[in-house]
Amino acid sequence: MFKMYFKIAWRNLIKNKVYSGINIIGLAIGLTAGFLILQYVNFEHSYDKFHSKKNSIYRVVADLDTPSSGKMESSRPACAVPPHMEEEFPEVISAVRFMRLELAVRKDEIKLVEDKAAAADRAFFEMFDFGLLQGDKKSVLQEPYSVVLTQETANRYFGNESAIGKTIRIKDEDINDLPFTVTGIMDEIPENSHIKANMIISMTTYSKGVLPRINDAWGLYDPAAYILVHPNTDPKQLEAKFPDFLERNSGETMRRDKMFVSLFLEPLEDVYLRSERGGEYSGDLGTIYIFSIIAIFILLIACINFVNLTTARSVERAKEVGVRKVIGAEKRQLSLQFVGESIIISLIAFVIASILAALVLPAFNEIAGKVISDGIFTNPINIAYLFLIALSIGAFAGIYPAFVLSSFKPVNVLKGNFSTGTRGIILRKGLVITQFTISITLIIGTIIIYNQMNYMRSQELGFDKEHTVLLPVTVSSAQKELKDNIDNISGVVSTTLASAVPGAYNNSAYSVIQNSQGEGQIANINAYFVDHDFISQFGLKVIAGRGFSRDFVTDSAQGMIINEKAVKFLGYASPKDALGATFSQWGKDGQIIGVIQDFHFKSLQENIQPLTMTMKPDETDLLAIKITGNNIKQTLADIQNKWEAILPNDSFNYQFLDENFDKQYRSQERFGSLFLNFAVLAILISCLGLLGLAAYSMLQRKREIGVRKVLGASVAQVVKLLSTDFLKLVTVAFLIASPLAWYVMNDWLSRFAYRISIEWWMFLLAGTSAIIIALATVSFHALKASLANPVKSLRTE
Amino acid sequence: MIQIKNLKKSFRTEEVETLALNNVNLTVEEGEFVAIMGPSGCGKSTLLNILGMLDNPTEGSYHFGGEEVGKLRENQRTRIRKGNLGFVFQSFNLIDELTVFENVELPLIYLNMKKSEREQKVNAVLERMKIAHREKHFPQQLSGGQQQRVAIARAVVTNAKLILADEPTGNLDSKNGIEVMNLLTELNQEGTTIIMVTHSDRDSHYAHRIINLFDGQIVTESQNKPFEVNA
Repeated sequence: MFKMYFKIAWRNLIKNKVYSGINIIGLAIGLTAGFLILQYVNFEHSYDKFHSKKNSIYRVVADLDTPSSGKMESSRPACAVPPHMEEEFPEVISAVRFMRLELAVRKDEIKLVEDKAAAADRAFFEMFDFGLLQGDKKSVLQEPYSVVLTQETANRYFGNESAIGKTIRIKDEDINDLPFTVTGIMDEIPENSHIKANMIISMTTYSKGVLPRINDAWGLYDPAAYILVHPNTDPKQLEAKFPDFLERNSGETMRRDKMFVSLFLEPLEDVYLRSERGGEYSGDLGTIYIFSIIAIFILLIACINFVNLTTARSVERAKEVGVRKVIGAEKRQLSLQFVGESIIISLIAFVIASILAALVLPAFNEIAGKVISDGIFTNPINIAYLFLIALSIGAFAGIYPAFVLSSFKPVNVLKGNFSTGTRGIILRKGLVITQFTISITLIIGTIIIYNQMNYMRSQELGFDKEHTVLLPVTVSSAQKELKDNIDNISGVVSTTLASAVPGAYNNSAYSVIQNSQGEGQIANINAYFVDHDFISQFGLKVIAGRGFSRDFVTDSAQGMIINEKAVKFLGYASPKDALGATFSQWGKDGQIIGVIQDFHFKSLQENIQPLTMTMKPDETDLLAIKITGNNIKQTLADIQNKWEAILPNDSFNYQFLDENFDKQYRSQERFGSLFLNFAVLAILISCLGLLGLAAYSMLQRKREIGVRKVLGASVAQVVKLLSTDFLKLVTVAFLIASPLAWYVMNDWLSRFAYRISIEWWMFLLAGTSAIIIALATVSFHALKASLANPVKSLRTE
Repeated sequence: MIQIKNLKKSFRTEEVETLALNNVNLTVEEGEFVAIMGPSGCGKSTLLNILGMLDNPTEGSYHFGGEEVGKLRENQRTRIRKGNLGFVFQSFNLIDELTVFENVELPLIYLNMKKSEREQKVNAVLERMKIAHREKHFPQQLSGGQQQRVAIARAVVTNAKLILADEPTGNLDSKNGIEVMNLLTELNQEGTTIIMVTHSDRDSHYAHRIINLFDGQIVTESQNKPFEVNA
């Protein structure tokens, strides 16, 4: 019986090549897109699930509460927390700190900056399932000045030779060009891990070496912290013990600093997607939901095509159904046959989709910005997934046509007294409206996303970000000499030394600043440490008082400049009123000497926050160089020459400020381009369906068209008649899609502190595009039908 | 074999109710060959459909082999139809996507018969209908006469007790028409009951009995001396 079903299905496919093609290609594209999105969603959900002890590992996070700035949620506790937890709680088997580092590494003539370096405690390789190719996981990070490298990193320094036991020299703010012994070679850390590193040094390098008090540092919040607990430990009960633990160890410090800490546990599996505290690598559950919905939409559109085309073609299958029923087929058997046919079509689409997915996967990885899968065929589970999706779609999309077809009454269909009925037509129209509602919503979404991206890129940031080269200079002693030398290069306009620049990480400093009430207001405030040239070089506008000046010797020791937001934060009515207010910050006391206009030192997703600027040469580690923009290549070469003359042992790595700033929008750009791609696909599949449906509609109305033409209708009149029906559907879809898109996109835009407003023209543009696309699709067939010789169509009828 | 009493069939559209059959009483014995005649729209095909259990009467009773079948649901009717009834249509109604062999095989598949048994039966009936040499052809590759022979083969392959033929020669030329009527007569002589709807006086003379319908009622019923089967 099944063989027979297959035969019939196959012969039907071959007989109606065009419609089969439309059906299969539409479904294959839908499957490919749906599959890729689901792969992405699945990948995002797979973060940190590969660790065998995942259910017993927790990240320790902290809430920091200060009287002025309120509660701040941090993803990191104080440095001292993990070792003390390991010591004081019997539930804790081991605790690991993981600190991201950027290290200058040297081996003989090879000098590189490793920006994916880290420091970790001894138990790191025991707690997590990161494999070691060489070395003992219990001891690789035990001794100070030990380093574990990935094979690829080791190859950079040692080529094909074994690296174990050999040394490399490492330098950063705390480590002063010291030799480290390679104790292990580790596997590449999988992409779906929120912990990433290609080089890990032992934390004992700090605790037993360069920062001996790190294990008791209750005020230093740098490394992330993880604990492994005994399997039956209740995290809530453990958390309940934390207030006493903190009081015991740092009660006095908290009261002194007026910074009150609470500690919490986050299950390891929740860190990447569900934690709202972020961290270096964190996902966005909202984006995942949006893409999941898009995947379902695309698959739905493909299913709708299938249902529409099959039910529209039911006239052709009616006779077969009638005959089968007459000679003994039961409804159930016929339903099975048609669902079977649908599954066969979906399985053909599955084969095409597998090939398509394999072809577009590299491009998809590129857009997603990570290797979601290194190949469709490398993992049988991928194929199994796709197969299951195809099978489900085949069954799901086949049910309704099967029900319709198997319900035909043989008496009627064999006599030719048959129509699909108004119910069928209404359903088909409803489905077309659904498809276009989804498509138009996606078009509106794309327009809004792109406008928001453009807005963020073109928005006045309040500082000059053009033609600025950033050079990290970790060697404090060389900073001044380097700045003076580079200043003299002909292509260089000016230079400035700072601890941070817009778009880069900046410190927050515990500060006490006199507010409008005359009281010392405590705040953990954004702090830039700069030199005399910073304000002028970045084109920041001083709106009250003055900038740092060499004419005032006290500026470097006692001067502070704040932004407008800080003025408001301190309660002053105008910037002028804040001048002269006293402050105390990081061991420095002085007065506010100037107020600058607010500028976007972070991305436009965030509101501008209060900011302070002081001069603190020992905190600056960035040299920002403003260049002319003429012959950039030569200027960069000149800068490199100066660098190599002054810092021969350090590698020369530079970035452009504007590129660095725009990096903040990279994930939004990826989101935008994924959205655009899938919107285009959704429209393409919808149009394929419309094309097939239009073709059938024309076929059914052939006689009517013939009669109309005989009676004198022009080609234009016939095209208009035939197209209007479809355009009405698209118009209805537009009316449904507009409020829907407004609601969804308004919600999306609310994530941005600085956002566009949704304009009427965005809807108009989307609606017009959809109508033009639909018109182009339908009019091809309408024109063909209206140009046909009526004599022929009437005769064949 | 068939007993119909006070049978009525009406069709209702939104505004009009049409009475297609009105108080029809009819008995058909096993082995009979009955022709139903009458002008277009008199209810011949409606009656045939009810007799063939493709449709239910609105009122009245229909006994088939002693069992009341007039009020059965579609699936129940299908089960009784399977293997007992064969249909021959004016427009042949072969499935275009199936070959001659597959078309004839179809009723046996729905009877869940084994493949080897099916092959044997289909081959035998195709031989008998003199169409075996065309078994791999598709319906569109055959002449009208050949297509109707395939349709008859399909109707008898299950050894149906009753064959219902709706204008079986309506789409054929006279030579092929005679051939088809001879085949039906042969089957009848072997014991198959045949009920045939026809417009053709000539075809009606192959039957034992002619029933004339007019406006949904049987108006005359006459015995007939059937034609001899042409060799």
